[in-house]
Amino acid sequence: MSTYPPPPGHAPGHGQGPARGPVVFDPYSLPDDDNVNPYAFSVALDGQWFLQKGKMIAYYGQVDFHAIGHGPLDRLVAANFHSPLHAADWVVAQGRGKMLLADRAYDVNSYDLDQGNLTIRSGNLLAFQPGLALKQSIIPGFLTLIGTGKFVAASNGAVHFVEPPIRVDPQALVGWADCPSPCHHYDHGYLRGVLGGIRALTGIGGASGEEHQFEFVGAGQVLLQSTEQLLGVRDTGGVPGRAGAGVPGAGAAGPHA
Amino acid sequence: MPFTRINSKMVEAPIAPGQRMFSQRGAMLAYRGEVTFTPNIPGGQGGVMSMIGRRLADEATPLMTVEGSGSVMFGHGGHHIHTVDLTGETLYVEADRLLAFDGSLRQGTMFMGSQGGVMGVIRGQATGQGLFTTTLQGKGSVAMMAHGGVVELPIGPQRPVHVDPQAYVAHRGEVRNRLTTALGWREMVGRGSGEGFQLELSGQGTVYVQASEEKL
Repeated sequence: MSTYPPPPGHAPGHGQGPARGPVVFDPYSLPDDDNVNPYAFSVALDGQWFLQKGKMIAYYGQVDFHAIGHGPLDRLVAANFHSPLHAADWVVAQGRGKMLLADRAYDVNSYDLDQGNLTIRSGNLLAFQPGLALKQSIIPGFLTLIGTGKFVAASNGAVHFVEPPIRVDPQALVGWADCPSPCHHYDHGYLRGVLGGIRALTGIGGASGEEHQFEFVGAGQVLLQSTEQLLGVRDTGGVPGRAGAGVPGAGAAGPHA
Repeated sequence: MPFTRINSKMVEAPIAPGQRMFSQRGAMLAYRGEVTFTPNIPGGQGGVMSMIGRRLADEATPLMTVEGSGSVMFGHGGHHIHTVDLTGETLYVEADRLLAFDGSLRQGTMFMGSQGGVMGVIRGQATGQGLFTTTLQGKGSVAMMAHGGVVELPIGPQRPVHVDPQAYVAHRGEVRNRLTTALGWREMVGRGSGEGFQLELSGQGTVYVQASEEKL
């Protein structure tokens, strides 16, 4: 089980040694809330978990999957969901047993939050415990988890934790915890001067592809994945149309819009 | 500057003022400190002539110069990364497999035909290397990409190594390579083993093999 923040020198979920023989799992030998291998995660379900649709690959035991909507779980959903417009992408698993989660053979890891907050790219989040509340981030495309509990996230390549100050390629960013939201950083230094002008006008020499980063400052943790290939983007849902001016993503912008 | 391995798909390299590195464009994941990334027109080292040489040789993978002070994390395309420390010998590698390398290394291109004439050219086609390959020589570190993990196989004078051309990544040292064919009537009627071509490497050095037959 990986803790958050991870102890130094510990790559979560990748502690398996070199080649072992094949392991046959049964309901008792499947790990409790831990990785089966880097690409599959086993949840010891006793109660409820929220999962993204389609990420459950197998289960043992008595587990019911409820679509989030109008049903017996309305109270739970009301307490843990704060963005009703994308509730259709989530289901509640309820019951007892072992449940396996995976996502397109991407690396999967679990993280513990303790009275914390973490913002994550919407496509990367697989599942979370009801102790956490899921909210839309004001940054489009990101979701924020607040509270205490465990969640499971996928990434393209293992996740690496770094501390600010740091500048991150936008596609390599998985999420961040406890630190203020990032800002954009532009680096057009090589487009200055005479040669830079020629380069900018003619396109000779091309672009480095690294002119734009997200900059993080302050105390916290930034989660990076090992490549710039994004996982499929998942809609976080819009903000209510009547949210009005001043809400990022809402229809009504400033007075000159 | 040696690369620090963060995980199998990510490396970190310190950058100090006065030193520079070359990296494939777009391969930076994050950096600390003040570091600049400049796309370089020559696509590597040397002057205009070596640029033209690389263009003709189709070994002109877009590179950028990394300068400043701080540290940079590199990774690209979800490929596994293997780092090699060179101490004076030459590394032969395809340009598009290079993730990043020290500016202290001398970069060049080699005509495949210079090792074995026509057979060298055929070998280049079979391994997907084309007619030319990139050489890096000197003292410094190289981070190269492979599909799947990389295995290092030592080559000794009495121990030649046979490699599937598609799994070949790079080699270093004083190594002669030769394409061996085992084509018979079975291949002619389409019942071959699928292992008709092999790369035989002999001499003294190391060959890097990836755990996949997929190209980058």
